[in-house]
Amino acid sequence: MANAFVAAFEILSFGAIIVLIVLGLGIIASMMGIFNFAQGEFVLLGAYITYLAYSHGLPIWAGMVAAPFLVGALGFALEGLIIRRFYAAPIVAMLGTYALGLIIRESVRGLIGGFYLTVPEPIGGSIDLGTVHISTWRFIIIVITLLVMGACYLLLSRTSFGLRVRATLENPALARASGISTPLIYGATFAFGAALAGLAGALIVPVFSLFADLGIRFLIQGFVAVMVGGVGSFIGPVAGAGVIGTLSAALPWIIAPVVADVLVFVLAIAFIKFRPQGLIAGKGV
Amino acid sequence: MLKSMSVVREAIDADVGDEPDGAMAESEARQAASGRKVLPIVEGLVLLAALIAPFVLQDYLTVFATRVIILALFALSFDLVWGYAGIMSFGQALFFGSAGYGVALLARDLDITNIFLVLPAGTIIGLTFALLLGGFLLLGRHPSSVIFVALGTLTGSYAADRLARGWYYLGGQNGIPSISPMTLGSYEFSEGPVFYYLTLGILVVAYLLCRFLVRSQFGLALAGLRENEQRIAFFGYKAQHLKAIVFAVGGTIAGLAGSLYAFHEGFVWPNMVGVVVSTQVVLYVLFGGSGTLIGAVIGTVIIEGVSFWLSDNYRDIWPIILGVLLLLVILFRPLGLISFVLGERERVGSFGAKLKEKRNAAS
Repeated sequence: MANAFVAAFEILSFGAIIVLIVLGLGIIASMMGIFNFAQGEFVLLGAYITYLAYSHGLPIWAGMVAAPFLVGALGFALEGLIIRRFYAAPIVAMLGTYALGLIIRESVRGLIGGFYLTVPEPIGGSIDLGTVHISTWRFIIIVITLLVMGACYLLLSRTSFGLRVRATLENPALARASGISTPLIYGATFAFGAALAGLAGALIVPVFSLFADLGIRFLIQGFVAVMVGGVGSFIGPVAGAGVIGTLSAALPWIIAPVVADVLVFVLAIAFIKFRPQGLIAGKGV
Repeated sequence: MLKSMSVVREAIDADVGDEPDGAMAESEARQAASGRKVLPIVEGLVLLAALIAPFVLQDYLTVFATRVIILALFALSFDLVWGYAGIMSFGQALFFGSAGYGVALLARDLDITNIFLVLPAGTIIGLTFALLLGGFLLLGRHPSSVIFVALGTLTGSYAADRLARGWYYLGGQNGIPSISPMTLGSYEFSEGPVFYYLTLGILVVAYLLCRFLVRSQFGLALAGLRENEQRIAFFGYKAQHLKAIVFAVGGTIAGLAGSLYAFHEGFVWPNMVGVVVSTQVVLYVLFGGSGTLIGAVIGTVIIEGVSFWLSDNYRDIWPIILGVLLLLVILFRPLGLISFVLGERERVGSFGAKLKEKRNAAS
């Protein structure tokens, strides 16, 4: 019983990490029709900023707060300078963002080398629940993920910014005609997606350590989750991430980890093949 | 399948004519003025350079050049699939690496190293995997979106990488080391000029086959497919079948390249099936120029050559430079380096004698 509870908690916290990482990816893919291959590197940057704050003697949480803002600002700049030119063709956007990601990843690798750098948990220890102990930090990740999901939902459905974003998604030409500055909306959406990745990186770095391939490790999982969930809505990618995250955390408890890894991908691709619109049908790209 | 050739040709002509690019129009004009074709000249020069290379290069560079030629063969397979059919096969290394693993297992477990057995075996492995994956991703009731195919192939390659890393039988992280050399009777192909000319010969044959394929009726349909898939489907071509066929041919060539690579390097390791090598081949082709065949070869030679040259002093920053170059190519030269000398008209190609006659009559 206790073991089952610990397993469930592990699975849930891993699912939360995937959701956190995929949230930004999904928002960019759904709202802008771009599969951002640099998203993993935004996660990496978020983690790196947190590490820098820590290694310079600042409180860790200061780095964690700064990460989403700094990465978001970088995202805004990159959108205006480069990403904007890729909107016409999704494949070109994929390759272009891949190149961007390569530049960021290799630059970080140049700075940190091939090491695994560790950052302690800002709130360490464990929560005792009778006979079982669960990691406090992992619990906090779950809570923050839920809060961020709620905030994103409210932002997109209840604010005038959200209304403009949704209008731009539905019909860019009409949105422009109604006086919405669509380039600004695209820039803001991309920056927001990047900021979420930065936050994800900041939160997970105590769990996974910092290494150059930190972002890319989750990227393919993220893409698959977005496709499984369905592009074109907010809730789709989140649902997809929930399913993929839970499956990839749960299966290794049942079957050999290697087989589990491969099985998740095979199942996901087969699912997308037979239901291209995903779990929750959105507008699609 | 052989129908309405002239209609298709006109459709392609119209599409090509639609978007005149400054630089291309210029180089095309230059070409027209000289009345000469650039492509055969470029191909001839590359072949000439490849033929004399072992005489001017030091021994260790000949070994390196052999590796480059094998990678060029692999790049050729990707160019066929992406440059001609517009299928973004982001997991091309799956066919390259699985063939490599296949022949490595043949050599290790069954002691089969005969060139006439292992090369066909690797080729068939590549073909089989390409048929399975391509059939699954490309065929079906609904046409697959280009993003789905890109992510599907990428995921396939990634899953294969994870499998290879975790499977003890395949050597796990370390892969399969010290594969016995490829043999012909009692002769052993070791690194050096003989292996070099063997791979060069294979590359030339594969290149000519690809060239024949893309300049045939099939290639015409592919070019149309790349420019405007819906229009080609409207003419009654089974676009999905065409794509699956060219995907399978690409996988076959990648398999051949993978088996050569395994024997040349003497070992296989998980990266060979994974995302790293898959994206490497995308870099070669985009850099050299997609949809030209020779662009794939040139891109491979330049990227591998420069990274070999820089590997001592600038090992750490070379990937960053590569990323910047790639970004610049995508932004400003989407058709790659070859587009500096090759016009759009010649890249798409002219099909058959009729076209020329019609042109002459018109002018």
